Amino acid sequence: MTSTDTQDTPGQLASAASTEVIIQLNKVNKWYGAFHALKDIDLVVHKGERIVVCGPSGSGKSTLIRCINRLEEHQEGDIVVDGILLDKNLKHIDHIRREVGMVFQSFNLFPHLTVLENLTLGPIWTRKTPKAEAQEAAMKYLTRVKIPEQANKYPGQLSGGQQQRVAIARSLCMNPKIMLFDEPTSALDPEMIKEVLDVMIELADTGMTMIVVSHEMGFAKTVADRVIFMDEGDIVEQNEPFEFFNNPQHPRTKLFLSQILQH
Amino acid sequence: MVVVRTQPTSSRTAPLSETTVIGWLHKNLFSTVLNAVLTLICLYIIYVVVKGLWIWGVADAVWVAKDRRECFDISIDGACWAGVIQWIDNIFYGRYPRTELWRVNLGGLLLVLWMAPLWLPRVRAKIFIGLSTVFLYPFLAGYLFAGGDKSLFMQVMVTLAMVCLAGNTAHAIIGVSSGRGLPDTLLRWLGKDQAPEATQRNTLLVLLAAALAVGYALQTGWTEEVVPWSKWGGMFLTLVISGIGIATALPGGIILALGRRSKMPVIRVMSTAFIELFRSVPLITVLFMATTMFPLFMPEGFVLNKLVQVIIAVSLFSACYMAETVRAGLQAIPRGQYEAAHTIGLGYWGMMGLIVMPQALKHMIPNIVGSFIGLLKDTTLVSIIGLFDILGMLRSVSQDVPWRGLHKEPLLFGAVVFFVVCSVMSKYSRHLEVKLSAGAKR
Ligand SMILES: Nc1ncnc2c1ncn2[C@@H]1O[C@H](COP(=O)(O)OP(=O)(O)OP(=O)(O)O)[C@@H](O)[C@H]1O
Ligand SMILES: [Mg+2]
Repeated sequence: MTSTDTQDTPGQLASAASTEVIIQLNKVNKWYGAFHALKDIDLVVHKGERIVVCGPSGSGKSTLIRCINRLEEHQEGDIVVDGILLDKNLKHIDHIRREVGMVFQSFNLFPHLTVLENLTLGPIWTRKTPKAEAQEAAMKYLTRVKIPEQANKYPGQLSGGQQQRVAIARSLCMNPKIMLFDEPTSALDPEMIKEVLDVMIELADTGMTMIVVSHEMGFAKTVADRVIFMDEGDIVEQNEPFEFFNNPQHPRTKLFLSQILQH
Repeated sequence: MVVVRTQPTSSRTAPLSETTVIGWLHKNLFSTVLNAVLTLICLYIIYVVVKGLWIWGVADAVWVAKDRRECFDISIDGACWAGVIQWIDNIFYGRYPRTELWRVNLGGLLLVLWMAPLWLPRVRAKIFIGLSTVFLYPFLAGYLFAGGDKSLFMQVMVTLAMVCLAGNTAHAIIGVSSGRGLPDTLLRWLGKDQAPEATQRNTLLVLLAAALAVGYALQTGWTEEVVPWSKWGGMFLTLVISGIGIATALPGGIILALGRRSKMPVIRVMSTAFIELFRSVPLITVLFMATTMFPLFMPEGFVLNKLVQVIIAVSLFSACYMAETVRAGLQAIPRGQYEAAHTIGLGYWGMMGLIVMPQALKHMIPNIVGSFIGLLKDTTLVSIIGLFDILGMLRSVSQDVPWRGLHKEPLLFGAVVFFVVCSVMSKYSRHLEVKLSAGAKR
């Protein structure tokens, strides 16, 4: 990282990052069978920090963020989330999963439940929130993602962009401290990408800690405190966005940026 | 060059072949010479068969006679339905005492009453109704059918079942008329619907306790004469065996399927071995094993009656088949659903019960109904090991002195009964399939 204090570029959100560490990865290694997917990853994320992860396909971006909430198990190194060491202890895993929300590329809404039920299921069953309270909170978040009128529809009746906003609201209903996004807009048509990004920008505005795997460079420029570039299981380069895009250091980064900026 | 359509194209009527009967006939049955010839041949075959059946089974048939000889005297080559008619009670109820038949009928009615809410609109908590059918109804019906003294366990189960039936029925009536549930409504009547949750829960518990007390008192005053299982028979016995098999198959199959997919090697290997063992052996073998070999493994003096042995065998057998159906259903659920369930903090059982199973069951319904139909038909194998189920009864008609040698009519009658029951089930499953796939497209 070249500098920590952000140069305010026009349109850049003010950073909400504090000095409190919320996620820490120490020499994390992950193999799929014999394939080395993450290599000695070191990463510190501060509370309120917004990080965009990019890199070529197969570079391990998804694997990285899926290790943070134990959708994938790492074999070596330590991951500490919200002060809790992620190990085989199910209590720790449960605790961390409750603090970490995740939004997937393919939405993964529950098709047999209405939008409202999708949102209240987690709070009611895992946080033991009374139903009425959970529904009220759900409506609040649906309003925040601008689709309160869809509450009683089924996911299959919504457009992709609407579904992804429901998925974001579903995660928010659990009151997470951290939100992970795995390419939230890459399954969407262009006109829907914006509505989802708008919601994410607003979320960033509230000071949520966010790690976003995305190739939306506009979003990275507006929102990110830091951009991380991964290649072949390594973090090759990380920098604040202005420098990252205008002054990439590593040849792989330069090549990657030149490729995605071509279109 | 730009081409712009200025007028919208108006729709025209469909060609005649799509709308008229003649058009349809022409298109589907007489489109070529070969087709026309085939159609005519088929029509002729159908005509001959139907006419023969009609003359034998209806026109020349004998409906009232006191024995087979009299049938022959009246009409030598017509069907002798008189025998079937005289045996009809045996065919349906076996040797169940004639004065007690109402108990069997009532048992059937109670089942209908119990399950009807599942099909009614606006009724909530259908899962609970379904589960209670599987876990409580059999005890109520079991006592009704068997009678005798109730053990403490039976007293408790019968009480629970009676209270549950009353509650279900009230719940369904309230649901259809107002869309609310029974607990809500009770609380509103008592003016406690705004009270804190703890008060509400306690009120409901008190009401439940009161209902259980009343139920207990009612059942102590209720005794029925013993009807030993050896008198059960006919369609009734077939339905009891296959009904219990069906009711245990689903929960048993779900448990076995989850076991087979478990991460714990011991559980996985045991479930797999169990499933494969039962699936690689025909039902008739399982039945023979259950009735002849099973007692050898039991401690001295421990005697299970044959019916219980048969029921256990049929249940295990059908659970293993169901396990494979469930496993296929589970495989249709994408991994993302499991991951999403994890990320909202659900544990294994929450994930399975709330997210995975409800979706998987929808995929499985056609197969489940299919195995139920199979089981109903397979159950007739118990007649080979000496239980007088419907097939056993149909065959004993020809052993009865006045009707000696009367085979065709009873078996044909049985075929019709099975055809009706099975085709209703499969029609219903097709209807469900359409309804659910419409649901998936929502
Ligand atoms: N379950 C798995 N089993 C085996 N290999 C896997 C598995 N998941 C991912 N991999 C491999 O690990 C590497 C990193 O995958 P990952 O999904 O993290 O990449 P990514 O950077 O997210 O790529 P993309 O941009 O295509 O999503 C890839 O080479 C992939 O083939
Ligand atoms: Mg990925």
